[in-house]
Amino acid sequence: MKSCFSWKQFYAVCAILLFSSSSTLRAEVQLPDGTVIKKVDFEKHLVGLFGRSGCNLGSCHGSFQGKGGFRLSLFGYEAEKDGVTVSRESNGRRIDLQNPDNSLLLIKSMGLTEHAGGRRFSPGSWQHKLIKEWIEQGAPLAKGSGAIKSLEVTPKEIPFNKPGQKINLKAMVQFEDGTSENITSLCEYRTLDDGVAEVDISGTVTSNRAGDTSIIIAYRGTVVPVRAMVPLEVKPGYKYPSVPEVNYIDKIVFSKLKRLNIEPSGLSPDAEFLRRITIDTIGTLPSPNEIRSFVADKSGDKRSKKIDELLKHPMHAALWATKLSDITGNNTDAMENPANLRIKRSQMWHDWLRKRVADNMSYDKIVEGVLCSTSRDGESPEIFLEKTNKLDEELKVGFSTTYAEKPSLDLFWRKQAAVALDQWGEKTAAAFMGVRLECAQCHKHPFDRWTQADYRSYANVFTQLSYGVSPEAKKVIDAENAERKKNATNNNLVNPVKEVYLASASNGKGGARQGLTHPETNLPLAPKALGGPEIKMEAGVDARKKLFEWLKTPDNPYFARSFVNRVWGHYFGVGIVDPLDDFSIANPPSNPQLLDALAKDFVESGYDIRRLERKILETRVYQLTYIPNATNRLDDNNYSHSFIRSMMAEVVVDVLCAATGMVENFGADAPKDARAIEVGASRVSSSISYAFRIFGRPPRTAACDCERSMEPALPQKLYLMADTNLQAKIESQANIIKKILADYKDDRKALEEMFLSTLSRLPNEKEFKHFESYIATGKDRKKAFTDTLWALLNTKEFIFNH
Amino acid sequence: MASRFSSDCEGFYRRDFLRIGAGAGLLGLSLPQILKLEANAAAKNNGVSTSKKADAVIMVWLGGGPATIDMWDLKPDAPEGIRGEFKPISTSAPGISISEYMPKMAKVADKTTIVRSIYHSIPSHGPATVFMTTGNKPTPALQYPAMGSLVSKLVKGEEGVPSYVSFSDIRGGTAGSSGYLGTAYNPFLVEGSAGADGKSKGTLKVRGIQLPTDFTLDELSNRDKLLSGFDTTFREADKSADLIQGFDAFHQQALDILRSDKTRKAFDLSQEKPETRTRYGTDNFGQSALAARRLVESGVRFVTISIGGWDTHSKTFESHSKKLQPTLDNTLSALIADLSDRGMLEKTMVYCAGEFGRTPKVNKNVGRDHWARSMAVVLAGGGFKRGYAHGTTDGQGMAPATDPCLPDDISATIFRNLGIDPKTELPTATGRNVQMFREGTVIDKLLA
Repeated sequence: MKSCFSWKQFYAVCAILLFSSSSTLRAEVQLPDGTVIKKVDFEKHLVGLFGRSGCNLGSCHGSFQGKGGFRLSLFGYEAEKDGVTVSRESNGRRIDLQNPDNSLLLIKSMGLTEHAGGRRFSPGSWQHKLIKEWIEQGAPLAKGSGAIKSLEVTPKEIPFNKPGQKINLKAMVQFEDGTSENITSLCEYRTLDDGVAEVDISGTVTSNRAGDTSIIIAYRGTVVPVRAMVPLEVKPGYKYPSVPEVNYIDKIVFSKLKRLNIEPSGLSPDAEFLRRITIDTIGTLPSPNEIRSFVADKSGDKRSKKIDELLKHPMHAALWATKLSDITGNNTDAMENPANLRIKRSQMWHDWLRKRVADNMSYDKIVEGVLCSTSRDGESPEIFLEKTNKLDEELKVGFSTTYAEKPSLDLFWRKQAAVALDQWGEKTAAAFMGVRLECAQCHKHPFDRWTQADYRSYANVFTQLSYGVSPEAKKVIDAENAERKKNATNNNLVNPVKEVYLASASNGKGGARQGLTHPETNLPLAPKALGGPEIKMEAGVDARKKLFEWLKTPDNPYFARSFVNRVWGHYFGVGIVDPLDDFSIANPPSNPQLLDALAKDFVESGYDIRRLERKILETRVYQLTYIPNATNRLDDNNYSHSFIRSMMAEVVVDVLCAATGMVENFGADAPKDARAIEVGASRVSSSISYAFRIFGRPPRTAACDCERSMEPALPQKLYLMADTNLQAKIESQANIIKKILADYKDDRKALEEMFLSTLSRLPNEKEFKHFESYIATGKDRKKAFTDTLWALLNTKEFIFNH
Repeated sequence: MASRFSSDCEGFYRRDFLRIGAGAGLLGLSLPQILKLEANAAAKNNGVSTSKKADAVIMVWLGGGPATIDMWDLKPDAPEGIRGEFKPISTSAPGISISEYMPKMAKVADKTTIVRSIYHSIPSHGPATVFMTTGNKPTPALQYPAMGSLVSKLVKGEEGVPSYVSFSDIRGGTAGSSGYLGTAYNPFLVEGSAGADGKSKGTLKVRGIQLPTDFTLDELSNRDKLLSGFDTTFREADKSADLIQGFDAFHQQALDILRSDKTRKAFDLSQEKPETRTRYGTDNFGQSALAARRLVESGVRFVTISIGGWDTHSKTFESHSKKLQPTLDNTLSALIADLSDRGMLEKTMVYCAGEFGRTPKVNKNVGRDHWARSMAVVLAGGGFKRGYAHGTTDGQGMAPATDPCLPDDISATIFRNLGIDPKTELPTATGRNVQMFREGTVIDKLLA
């Protein structure tokens, strides 16, 4: 290696140094969007850059363990800490003030040395210049310099004219220090549906096809959504057809479709409507006779009458009791001891909900009965004991109990194992607000407003809640429990009397739980409604009642909205907010006007559930056919046609029973002859548990609607084709085939009957010919119809509601 | 097909619409996904020696909680009322003794690792089973997947063969299930029986992937022809709908699986020599173990077989000496020896455990009650030491004395042998990433 000093090289080095130092003086970096940064600020610019470059994601340095010994705050929410990490930790090796390009921070991120995350940007890029400039200035940190006041992205709604256009977003941030900056190049951009519109790393949005979606812009933990509307391109002179509107719902849905140039499909024929609404409301199929008489009925209001009839049907209440069982977490395995009564307690839970839906109790009253329940409902210990004894006697006999008469659902709070306070926060937020809080247990929610402090102060609303024996009832209940223990034949069968009650004092005293403290200061946190007011704890006053009063205030953003969204999602297969329980800034409603209008109407009606359902079911939107037209084929969130959708697992089981003319036997897990939607238990031990599982019935362990899976899966198809349990129904000597063949000697009539009892429609000519050629191959009549039943149950038309 | 996205704690994720749609294997992710996972696992493990030792696990589940103090960790010097009625016998592994009622296991002890210092704190069947089978202490907040479900998610499967097969629905499906991974990773359940005489053909089959006994492939073809004429109306109405496309793809895959004879062959135990069938034990448990070996040969990655009756609150010594131990001895030793003879033990792990141990103190009904604070489990094959006993309990078997370890540590070690970093993060239904085993760490001393 040559080691001679050369003057030529020396001058060259001096020239570089001179050049660099002059650039230091200029101290300017130009971003791709044209913005010129005069003074690079760590929090404002570098932390934004880390986010945009993916450095502080949970899967990279944002993970709690960090990566490769380097940990950044998740999504840069704690910029101050990141400043210290970058410039001070690791013996300052990350920053080299003498030779900025020698800083580990740059070498690693440009992939010049081993970096599991690879090259995030290239040498010479604006990102390189930005970081280098900051180091050259001496890597200054100004604590809180980047505190964000607001983030504004324009345009708020992207006005595309057609697919194939491009538009640039502009992101402006207002800092707490009074300055504002264009940080378009320092944001992270995502689309919720890349079929409709894509967005690239610099904030350029491209429209792909007609429809609408949201683009989510994130800058250091602050999130803003903008709506991208992409109308279908139409020929000059195109005139949108006029569509009849039944009520305000149609008006809102159709006016949005009109903006998108998407035409709704036509009205569904009677048989299609009847099949859909029967599955949706009572979880089974209409019988062939029902279909015939409905189609033959010439009266103009027959659909309205059918809606009323179905909403009053006992199975309608059973269906909603099942859905509300998911929402409230009716988990058999979490029930209190003794274990042999858990199945029955789950049924009690289901019964309690079912009675209220059947009576059309208003939604707020139902929620009050769940959220604010106690075991005694204000009764004296003696009366409570009397009622408990009666209930326990009923439980010994069977499933039929008087639990549904009890004013409140104390089972919601009764659990075999103590549930941590923060779990109550998560569960109630998910159930009654449609908010997923779990992220905020460990860190600020990255895509919503919730901080750890919000999370904990909300959980503190539930500190008064106790489960055991209240001081007031101690004498009476202890005596009873001693007696019960003495009389039990087996320790495992003791059924002690316990109650859900409110502790008389607070914060760790008098049976109350210790509240959660502030994540950083460890100071006590006052109880607070989620996104609402502080809730003052007073002895003898139920804090949950105050929470409930806040939920019920007409301008509460979640309470009514989350429920109307669930009802809407049930009837259309896709929520206005979807997933149904994910109300968050990063998951905006597809049609906010619709959500607001439904919620407003629901509140004004006094939370009348049946009225809400009727309003929805009588719309033209609900009654559109599933057959798409040329303009709406790809629409999957604007309700331009009835969406093909999966059925709930329980409904799949019931529908298969209806179509085969068989009854499922749930053994000791449910009342005799119960249909699947009438089963309270979250687990059953009979052979049908396999079908429940593969069609997505939830175990109800998590505080999340998402536990119920509505996604198709391969085992479902295998189940329909080959499962022993279902094949036994198809092959049974006592099934529907026997009756059909006895009633109809003519093959065509028999085939019609079988089509009606499965697909709820008549076979067309092609289908009849197909059957004729099949039976002509020498199959005996019974065998041919058994094969036909198998084939019809295996059609997509059968297994999807539409 | 357009993709929709959703957000969560860790960022955005693409909704896995057709989670088990196109791609490899029955429960498969698509091949690129698997390769990516494997690449990630390799990248994450950089430096640490976690090279893959095995590619399959057979879990032998002793439902009810076995009195391991009378099986693998006898206490002959403990006071009466604790030490039990059985004598220890020496084994092929120097210095290791086990119960006199398991002479055949004594012969293969040189191929096993006995862990004597495992403990936990849940003496209740349900949650303890969840802890042991998932490798995560149960929490009301999240249902963790069984190890078999994790294997079917993370270990590349064999085309047309399910990754995770279970011979019993443990605790009505509350254990052994896929938890937050979603329904696609549940076990495929075996139904039918292997026949008690060891000669009969048996009727074992995997529920959901094999046709019922009287349903022939010809019949399936006929019915499928009939179906094709009834399924067009709907498809033509809306060809583009995701559900339609997806279900059509599933239909073809389902036909392939039902026609494939890999799994069916695995269950054809008549292909085994009669003495092999007898060696495993002619009862259902023994034949299940044999079928488990055959399933692993055909490409299944995780098989659970189980035998109950271990909840011996009374007459424990009678049950153990007359039935439980001889049955287990026969079958478990045959399985280990057979795997070894066939050269499969190198690549296959056997894990024999129940949900907890039992009280060292014998109760008034000559039984032992639930005891989670100490228990023993047996491991064999794929990456585990051989002829080794890990850890000890105190003189009365009350608690671990040396090298205490937890169920999740064993799980972590098993996954390390499968070449999967036990700290791998997986997304829950809401998309939140959670570590596969919250707390388990690899027990280096167990590794060969």
